[in-house]
Amino acid sequence: MTRGPPSVAEVYLIKEPIVGSIAEFFQHLMNGLTLGGIYALIALGYTMVYGILKFINFAHGDILMVGSYIGLFTFDAIRGQTMGPWTVIAFFIAMLAGMLFSAGLGMAIERIAYKPLRRATRLAPLLSAIGVSFILSNMAAWMWGTKSRKLDYPFDNSPIYLKGVSITPHQILILAVVIVMMVALKLFVDRSRIGKAMRATSLDQDTAKLMGIKADKIIAITFAIGSALAATAGFLIALEIKVYPSMGTMTGLKAFVAAVVGGIGNISGAMLGGILLGLLETFGVALLGIPYGLRDTIAFVALIIILLVKPEGLLGKAEKEKV
Amino acid sequence: MKKVLIATLLILVVSIIPIFAQGASESSVKLGFIGPMTGDYGNYGNLISKGALLAIEQKNAKGGIAGKIQIELIVEDSEGDPQKGLAGIEKLASSDKIVALIGPVFTGVAFAVGERVQNEGIMMVTPSGTHKDITDIGNYVFRTVASDGLQGDVSGHYFYEKLGIRKLGVLYVKNDYSQGLYEGTKASFESRGGVVTIAETAQIGDKDFKTQLTKIRASNPDAIYIPNYTAEMAQILEQATQLGIKIPFLSSDGFSNPEIYDLAGDYTDGVIYVGPTQVKESSDYKKFVADYTAKWGFAPDSFATNAFDAANILFETLEKVYAKNGKFDRKAIRDTFAATKDFPGVTGTVNFAENGDLVAYQGVYKVEGKTPKYIGTYTVVDGELIEIK
Amino acid sequence: MFNFILLILIYTAIFALMAIGQNLITGYVGLLSLTQAGFFAIGSYVTAILSVTYGWNFWLTVPMAALISSFFGLLIGLPTLRLKGDYLAIATLGFGEIVRNILNNWDSLTNGPMGIQRIPMISLFGIQISPYKKWGFLVLVWIFVLVAYFLFDRLAKSRLGRALEAIREDEIAASSMGINVTRYKVWAFILGAAVAGVAGSLQAEFILSVTPGAFTFMVSIMVLCMVVLGGMGNFKAVILGAFIIQFISYFPQLVGLSNVIPPQFKQILFGLILVVMMIWRPQGILGREKRSAPRRLFRSGGDV
Repeated sequence: MTRGPPSVAEVYLIKEPIVGSIAEFFQHLMNGLTLGGIYALIALGYTMVYGILKFINFAHGDILMVGSYIGLFTFDAIRGQTMGPWTVIAFFIAMLAGMLFSAGLGMAIERIAYKPLRRATRLAPLLSAIGVSFILSNMAAWMWGTKSRKLDYPFDNSPIYLKGVSITPHQILILAVVIVMMVALKLFVDRSRIGKAMRATSLDQDTAKLMGIKADKIIAITFAIGSALAATAGFLIALEIKVYPSMGTMTGLKAFVAAVVGGIGNISGAMLGGILLGLLETFGVALLGIPYGLRDTIAFVALIIILLVKPEGLLGKAEKEKV
Repeated sequence: MKKVLIATLLILVVSIIPIFAQGASESSVKLGFIGPMTGDYGNYGNLISKGALLAIEQKNAKGGIAGKIQIELIVEDSEGDPQKGLAGIEKLASSDKIVALIGPVFTGVAFAVGERVQNEGIMMVTPSGTHKDITDIGNYVFRTVASDGLQGDVSGHYFYEKLGIRKLGVLYVKNDYSQGLYEGTKASFESRGGVVTIAETAQIGDKDFKTQLTKIRASNPDAIYIPNYTAEMAQILEQATQLGIKIPFLSSDGFSNPEIYDLAGDYTDGVIYVGPTQVKESSDYKKFVADYTAKWGFAPDSFATNAFDAANILFETLEKVYAKNGKFDRKAIRDTFAATKDFPGVTGTVNFAENGDLVAYQGVYKVEGKTPKYIGTYTVVDGELIEIK
Repeated sequence: MFNFILLILIYTAIFALMAIGQNLITGYVGLLSLTQAGFFAIGSYVTAILSVTYGWNFWLTVPMAALISSFFGLLIGLPTLRLKGDYLAIATLGFGEIVRNILNNWDSLTNGPMGIQRIPMISLFGIQISPYKKWGFLVLVWIFVLVAYFLFDRLAKSRLGRALEAIREDEIAASSMGINVTRYKVWAFILGAAVAGVAGSLQAEFILSVTPGAFTFMVSIMVLCMVVLGGMGNFKAVILGAFIIQFISYFPQLVGLSNVIPPQFKQILFGLILVVMMIWRPQGILGREKRSAPRRLFRSGGDV
């Protein structure tokens, strides 16, 4: 059975995948790490917003979805017919477009649906967020149809074999982008002025305001960054899972679990939680033989366990409840 | 509070109006269609309903029933959900007063709606519900598609005998369609002596199958059977390539949906699947495909073809019933439909078995360069695989 | 047409039962739980399995459905006690999905994705209550709703209800006043679960089959919308909310526009209802039940 012409990599590096347990283990590891990287990117958005507003943006996953669509449209519009270096550049431009649009969307949603409820009860913004999530995913379905749309690879995605483990350029791309984004974010939050302001606001909003920090602006920026990161993640996985209206919901939810497991409000925690969840899901099914149908359950069980054992998350600090 | 009550009353009043608009006029007869028109599987409902619609248009152009009564197709969206399907049949049965139902498309919905129509006395003919138990519901349930029972039988025998497969790996989706086929194929495959070495499952809507594929790869079967819907199969084929799996893939009639070539492109090369029989290049069939594509802009799949035939058989039935009784009696329609003999459909000669099943064979196809090539027509009689020349 | 309206009223009643339960958990205790779909599923399957596989009479399956659902309510209530609003929502959502997954995969018990078909109809004193002849069924379900309404209303006005509201307003203050927060929260879950289980039984008897696909979290969201729209903490209101939501759901089919108006439309509407109600009228259309002492309904801080 043929699978198209062999790629350069296949010709020079070709080794047939060795069927055996070591190779299998590393294969699962590879799959798990890339999955985890994606969760981490999305989890960052959740955690940053929670850190500042103590509120979970249910609609985060759907913002991811919209960003992916915008990226797809941009890519299809500018990439031209043949595949070449321009295709890759176009791909990144499209990703940027998706990120910018999502950032804007995130800020708009915050302004319209969450800001008015900042002084309301805990329940209100949550219900509003659920509503926003619904509106976004269904509007997407209405406008763009429910059929999955293919996002073409800007490069030849034939796998490279390394000792029986097949690695695709796509997986390498994901890992590369995830690492770059995480490092960039960490530097930004730790070193820049806005980053400091963000940390201050999340620590104590009222005091931060007294210090002259414009909380509203910081909140908007937080949403923008978080949404942009989610859009990146969405665009990356869209190559594999295609773009469709409900692409954000389950993945978003699980990324949220990842954020909680790692320590909500804590950026390193989101990264750790994401990777951990990706590995847990992959190995849980592969090694522990958890039936594939219950894969999503792993995430929720992990959530319940962490909330019972260490509710502040693996890297979080326990909060004393003030009476 | 008062405002709310007034608003509610107004809404109720407004919605009553359609009752009066409901003309059960002598100038039209209504048929119903239930299928997933929206949602992830909207493509199926869309393709299939258009098969029926084409038939209706052509018939109406010739004057309709008895040369004067126009046929109308009322389409209800099931969204693939039995509950919505039931609401749909409720409306079709009582409000629209359909005389017969084409559909539902999905097995699960077909079960729920089937019970209802059996009880209500409206005949239904599904062009795609393949689960073997559907026609067991009652004598008002028919289908113009071969049942899973046959497909499973043929698949299992063919893989063993003709392809020489001894160890089969399976990746199926936990839904009635896939699981039904898996169970049927496994039973017949193992009855010949084959072994299903690994069977992995997935959920409908899943996008990532790498974990299951990695495990299947490790168990090294002779072939991998994927009796699923196009969305999942496209993902599976693509990811199998990424994992470096060179084992051949086998599939079911879900693969006959032309959408698979859009979604999976070159990855489909070499897949062998069991599906509805290829009509022997009859001129009727070619004309149907031409008409369909000209009208809707895309090619029909086998289920749309079944719907076209189902509709035309219904027309013949309606003609006979009207000629005899001067009106459209649901029971008479059922009886006449069941008595259909040797109807020249575009899928071949159509006959119905006692229980409403289609007397049929299965076709085997191999994909070469994104085009399915017909290999042969088969059936299983008394546990023996027979090729029909 | 008229039959179709009866259909809507029947679905309204079944969902109203769940909404009443949701009202207790969310309206009174202020917990954002999205569990109703899960208990709904459990109740449906209990009735399905018991009556099809074991030949039980429907009337006996109802208390079993309520009991087993309550048991799971307890199971879910205990670990999630400590969770605050946001986490609870996700955890309970997860529970619903876990239930559906298990139902889909536990072939030997539930027949997996095929579901269970041919559920025998309800019979009362020898008369069969068929879902095809709407009237009998309609009366039956609404009797259930009325019974539930009176039960829950009594409960809400009793000590239990007051304790629940105290917990909602300020959990720490309530606990320091001697209210066993744990116990009351769990009770709310158990009661909410029980009534959803009964709703499930009725649903199974109406559709006459159960499949895992019918119990997605959409159900939980719809129930939540009903409570939010009608009025949190007001049982009459949530029944009204149930009607309005079901009406919106089936409106396109009612007026014959179901092929013009896509199903997304009603879901966008539900989303809008949630957002708009929260911003404009968080207490719902009818608002909370009026009481003698003035109440502070919504303030910052606290759980709801």
